[in-house]
Amino acid sequence: MKKVLLQSAVAAAISMSLMTTATAQESSALDIGRLALAGYGDVTYAYQPDMKDEEGNDIQNNVVARFVPIFLFQLSEKIHIEAELEFSTNAEGETETELEYANMHYFFNDNTIITAGKFLLPFGQFGANLHPSWINKAVSNPGIYGGHGGNGSLGGVTSIMNDTGINVANTWVLGDAGRIFTDFYAVSGPRQEEGDHGGGVEIESKNGDNNDSMAFGGRIAYAFLPEWEIGMSYYSGAYSDDGDLNYSAYNIDFNWVGSYSSVRGEIFGSTAETEGEEEGEEEGHGEEWVKDFDKSGWYIQGTWQARQLGKSWLNPVEFVVRYSDIESDFDGSIEHDFEEDGGKTGSRIYYGVNYWLEPSAVLKLGAESTSIENEEASHTSVPDDRIFLQLAFGF
Amino acid sequence: MKSIKFVFTIIVLTTSAFSIKAQHVNDPSLVAKGAKVYSENCARCHNARPAEEYSKKEWSVVIPHMRAKAHMTGKEALAVEAFLASTLTADVRNAEEYTKPNAPKKSGEELVTQFGCQGCHQIKGEGGKLGPALDGVVASKGESFVLKKLIDPKFNNAASAMPKYPMNKEDIKAIIGFLKE
Repeated sequence: MKKVLLQSAVAAAISMSLMTTATAQESSALDIGRLALAGYGDVTYAYQPDMKDEEGNDIQNNVVARFVPIFLFQLSEKIHIEAELEFSTNAEGETETELEYANMHYFFNDNTIITAGKFLLPFGQFGANLHPSWINKAVSNPGIYGGHGGNGSLGGVTSIMNDTGINVANTWVLGDAGRIFTDFYAVSGPRQEEGDHGGGVEIESKNGDNNDSMAFGGRIAYAFLPEWEIGMSYYSGAYSDDGDLNYSAYNIDFNWVGSYSSVRGEIFGSTAETEGEEEGEEEGHGEEWVKDFDKSGWYIQGTWQARQLGKSWLNPVEFVVRYSDIESDFDGSIEHDFEEDGGKTGSRIYYGVNYWLEPSAVLKLGAESTSIENEEASHTSVPDDRIFLQLAFGF
Repeated sequence: MKSIKFVFTIIVLTTSAFSIKAQHVNDPSLVAKGAKVYSENCARCHNARPAEEYSKKEWSVVIPHMRAKAHMTGKEALAVEAFLASTLTADVRNAEEYTKPNAPKKSGEELVTQFGCQGCHQIKGEGGKLGPALDGVVASKGESFVLKKLIDPKFNNAASAMPKYPMNKEDIKAIIGFLKE
């Protein structure tokens, strides 16, 4: 079934290339280059006097830095290659390196792009487009996303960030302002984490596939330029080593961008099948079970630029507020690694003031506070309030 | 399965209906379109960045990357490149005292079209909203403010995405005259 779907996607892409009546042979108005270096970086100070780790030890205030170069290479008018590396220092002062993506775009025609390799999955907006620190208006990530930026004690929905495979992107122009964007992809898919009872879902791109079963997904969005964009994403793939257990996720994102303000948000939900066995009598086996674990959350973020007030000294100032909420049906009723991995759920609010030094360089001051609802789910309850200062830049 | 086949069929049929008409890269309307696409698409995710942040050669490699990120069509990407090329012309510079000999005189309206100002600013109800509307800007802000802004767009806001346009003394005078109307 999934093999047929992949074949259909590739066949559709080839058909589009052959059938398109594009005839323009214009060339770029620019001097043609081959290589460009872009990217972003940041340095962040986190003040978190009340934070504790899982053993109850104090978590130190820390300063972390990242440098994330993007290598862009133009092989021809049709083929473009890109790769993003992330160099960072962790809280222990060690240097970490990660390949965020490395892929090739093939510009099939005016409105179709085929991407192959490791790429950021078009699932929602934050992971695909908004997470770079000079673009992300806040210092931290929305509470529903873990990973980069740290998530404190709040357990995010399993992030669907990047993977290896193929994506077919299309743009449909509907008049002057209307656009429909579609992406359909097939990728290696999720994996099963190590654990006594099978463990949870791990979505981290690695060489090879653990179960010979690809994951499929896509995003369909409608944009009314320049202000509105609403998108819906879906992702599904088997994650267990035997391919019997599935992980699926959905996302609804919306963006409104005005002259002085913006409102963005996402609703993000996931369902992971997991299996276990009731305790049997003495050494006998109990009844086997398969259960769906649901986790969902949402966030909404608003920004406002003080230049609307017409005072020149306020022109670079921007205010940010973001609220995130996560809930799940993890209730601790079964002793299973999956629940342990689920982490805590609750809500988080972030307030921030940004001072723009350049269009792509910003000094951010932010404070966030987290309220945990399921304190019994895993680790000991601790206050999770932090203050951030970050310098972020794009280049 | 049927629904998947239906979706792909729709994609194939609709894509086949697209047709691209060739347009010359020096066409002022292409530059204006490029400015509009630039302001409408960059700001969907981040601040628009001034053209001078990259060279023409660098932009030619960056734009395909952004085309994929922003879901721009190839035609839109070419228009953006035409806009960037028009603002990165190195043979004139935007200085109040600078006079380019033998340069053909253009009206303020022609220059506003050439530089794609309405990609970001509204004039007489037409144009983008990335920057403030320019109707009455000379009266409200003063001629010296507009003059400074044209020469150094970041003089009052370091985060301004307005590019430094290649203007000479006559160009600046003509544009201010047009904005006074």
